Amino acid sequence: MLYRTAGQYKTSYRADQALFPVRQDAVLLGLILIFAWVVFPLSASEFTFQTILIPILIYSLTALGLNILTGYAGQLSLGTAAFMGVGAYACYKMITLMPWMNPVVAILLSGVFSAGVGVAFGIPSLRIKGFYLAIATLAAQFFLVWLFEKWAWLYNYNASGAIQVPNLTSFGVYVAGPQASSMVQYYVVLAIVSLITLVSINLTRGNLGRTWKATRDMDFAAELIGINLVKSKLTAFAVSSYIVGVAGALFVFMWRGAAEPNLFDIPLSFRILFIAIIGGLGSIMGNYLGAILIVGLPVVLGTLPRFFGIDIGSSMVEHLNTMIVGALIIFFLIVEPHGLARLWALIRAKLIIWPFPH
Amino acid sequence: MKYTTRLAVALVAATFAGSVGAQELQVPNLSYRTGPFASTGIPVMNGQMDYFTMLNERDGGVGGVKVNFYECETGYNTEKGVECYEKTKGDAIVTQPWSTGITLQVLPKTNVDEIPILAPGYGFSAMGDGAVFKWAFNMPSSYWDGASMILKSLGGDDMSGLKGKKIAFLHLDHPFGKEPLPFLEAQAAAVGFELLPIPVGLKEMQNQSAQWLQIRREQPDYVIMWGWGAMNTGALTEAVKTKYPMDQFVGIWWSGHSDDLQVVGQDGKGYRSISFNAPVEGAPLMADLQKYVYEPGKTESDAEQRGEVFYQRGLVMSMMLAEAIRAAQAEYGKADIGPKELRWGLENIKLSDARIAELGMTGMVPPFSTSCSDHTGHSGGWMLQWDGEKFVVSGDHLMADAAAIAPMEKANAAEYAAANAPWPTQDCK
Repeated sequence: MLYRTAGQYKTSYRADQALFPVRQDAVLLGLILIFAWVVFPLSASEFTFQTILIPILIYSLTALGLNILTGYAGQLSLGTAAFMGVGAYACYKMITLMPWMNPVVAILLSGVFSAGVGVAFGIPSLRIKGFYLAIATLAAQFFLVWLFEKWAWLYNYNASGAIQVPNLTSFGVYVAGPQASSMVQYYVVLAIVSLITLVSINLTRGNLGRTWKATRDMDFAAELIGINLVKSKLTAFAVSSYIVGVAGALFVFMWRGAAEPNLFDIPLSFRILFIAIIGGLGSIMGNYLGAILIVGLPVVLGTLPRFFGIDIGSSMVEHLNTMIVGALIIFFLIVEPHGLARLWALIRAKLIIWPFPH
Repeated sequence: MKYTTRLAVALVAATFAGSVGAQELQVPNLSYRTGPFASTGIPVMNGQMDYFTMLNERDGGVGGVKVNFYECETGYNTEKGVECYEKTKGDAIVTQPWSTGITLQVLPKTNVDEIPILAPGYGFSAMGDGAVFKWAFNMPSSYWDGASMILKSLGGDDMSGLKGKKIAFLHLDHPFGKEPLPFLEAQAAAVGFELLPIPVGLKEMQNQSAQWLQIRREQPDYVIMWGWGAMNTGALTEAVKTKYPMDQFVGIWWSGHSDDLQVVGQDGKGYRSISFNAPVEGAPLMADLQKYVYEPGKTESDAEQRGEVFYQRGLVMSMMLAEAIRAAQAEYGKADIGPKELRWGLENIKLSDARIAELGMTGMVPPFSTSCSDHTGHSGGWMLQWDGEKFVVSGDHLMADAAAIAPMEKANAAEYAAANAPWPTQDCK
């Protein structure tokens, strides 16, 4: 009943191709946006901002970047964290070399650098596919992290080898560094994530997205119908790396506040890959669902014992947490191997015909 | 609505978490009993915990108010650490971040949140400059102190014995391992020895054959190690394999864990590690712990662990914090102190020989005092030597070269403050 589509007539192609052909979807999204833009920021505590809201948004954005490459264009990548690192270090260098620069502009520009690096490492994708390409991106992972460690210019010859975010202002308000308030950082992150998500939705629905999907589904066939594979694959690498780079800059500047090279090592790449896979490859919404499961849920689970007044050791909580989240991941993959986004799509399809299943 | 409701649940949970009774002093510890460094974390955390359990049982807390010493598990993971910091900072009077990565991130935030950060024997060496690092404390000794003490024990008080020598500096390629590098470089230039930095990547910790091949080729007169976790055992087993003389091999205090040495046993005989605490099994404090903590079974430690350096280091760390709480309570005339008062207390620890004896800890920690301008205390320390079965104190109490460290501390602190402007400082007369 909630999802009744009866009576929603489409009288033009334009309406049929709209972003939300079903009215309830638009209402639902509107509600989520109201929560994200108004309700959460007004009611969230510092803890919620720092451990749930901001990280979920940033991880979602990173997974979105990876999803464009892996889910839409079919190019497997294991170097996501390294490209995040490129964005973060590029942003750090821009900010320290040009202190007058607006930090939000710097964050958006830092993606350009990672896009460049991404295209360079994407060139092998023209010759190799699948697991072999994964190895090539793995090389990017190792090489770039090594570079972040050895190239002292990147971290301004800091003795500790780490980068630290200074206090940065945009139009007189602190947006990064210890002086920045969580709410401001949340809004900056939310604005950038919303913008990039909107652009991505349209990109994947448009001409470029269709060439990516054709490349993913069968590159021979795609080439035969006249798709330029070089262009298709390299644009996927560029767009994906741009988003990942911006996410990396947000990761360090809007959330972590400091970073050492090994932060961008393989475990982070895998974490993002898990988010994308569990959320659903080839889906935009899946990234958000995946990030909520992988990033947000452990935090909530960790606070539960104390919330209910159960007195167990913190290391025990941590062990339980790992087990519960692991079990949930397996559960969701059994229930729906194509990820949470597909699970939602099934639920939605059932809701539309409910209560008359036939 | 699937994920909005889930987020809403999160919100509710988060707002209610952290509301605990105000009758106790809340002292969180960002522990790591899980993850790759758990083996070194557990004994220290147990020591810290047991000391406060003892105070609560014996004296009813500190100054009549109980101390709720609780842990938030980080697994040595920076992300978890920041989560723990945010979770605990609401009513905590202090934060103990434990990893260098977490310290890096939390340090600027403590300035804004006004919570003192206690990093005994780790963190930045420049944190000793209390005028700049108003909220940070790393007593009783900083890494530069440790490096200076090691050099002094190797080359004599004026380090003249090191002239013309070659010293390999085997360190974890990580902020922690790089920390003493500027000091060692400066000393190498001043004294005239050759410094050979050999980094060990995080992925190479357990397989250091390349590094030790280099050591065998270069034949340095001494090897100084800045290692942690799995790196220590890796280095020690490689040293035994390459037959590097153990009495020329010296580590920082985090490289002196008995369990690491047990792996090589008798082959490790002669290995030394600098330490700001020494194990004293028969100390009067241990009797109190036995009576109030071990016998009633209020501990997670085991009998074997309690005589070891790391466990007793945990006791020393909690003792310093308890002393700071006492100092603050006396100054402000109230038992229920907050973070601001505790900051003053941490700045005014006066740990004399007499006081240490009163605490029943004679020989476990050298006397020191902190002040507004000195947040480290520079207690000096002892060289501990592995006799094949356990660590024993070898030689006299060593003091770091304050004349060389103080100007570097000042310069680095000023540099840090400039890079993080606007950075609040305090005026120390």
